[in-house]
Amino acid sequence: MAQPLYILLCSGEHEKLQMAAMMASVGAVSERPVEVFVSMNAMLAFAKQAPAEGRYKGGTFSKLLKEKRAPDAVALFGQGKDLGDMKMWACSMALDVLGWEESQLVDGLFDGALGLTKFLSDAENGQFITL
Amino acid sequence: MTERTKIDARGAYCPGPLMELIAALKLVQIGDEVEVWSTDKGSVKDIPEWVAKVRHELVGVTQENGYWSVVVRKAK
Repeated sequence: MAQPLYILLCSGEHEKLQMAAMMASVGAVSERPVEVFVSMNAMLAFAKQAPAEGRYKGGTFSKLLKEKRAPDAVALFGQGKDLGDMKMWACSMALDVLGWEESQLVDGLFDGALGLTKFLSDAENGQFITL
Repeated sequence: MTERTKIDARGAYCPGPLMELIAALKLVQIGDEVEVWSTDKGSVKDIPEWVAKVRHELVGVTQENGYWSVVVRKAK
């Protein structure tokens, strides 16, 4: 089996969210298990109630992604989850800081809240990247 | 063998065409073919890579008028 991919997603930048979604979904459908740990500003992009226009903020590439109607990042994570082996975790600390419940995150994506200890420990047997 | 499933993914950016192909393959039987039309050069390279990695069968890649046609047979 391919080495699992562990993605630590902290950035709220559209470009990094998009890249994380692409890596996670393509990895997951390519028989490479993926786990994504969402924290910091990235958490904000997964708010259930985020306004359509405000969900993704970024620079030059973000503008192009929107203009050219590239696949939506949150939807892409969903496809990775539906079609492949992918788990997504909400950082417990980030939820606490925001005062959010898991129910305030987009439906159908997250497998639960997790702490760093578990994620880091699981990631010892795989490849770890940060976005 | 049933009729080939056709997906028009022209205008969709990577990894859209690949994801649409995979979703379609889930719905067909082993031995059935799925044809994806794509204008995205990256996808036209990536789809055969994926097919090889997960061990389906690449039937062919042909360049049509303004797009590519990639045909995959479900092998497992």
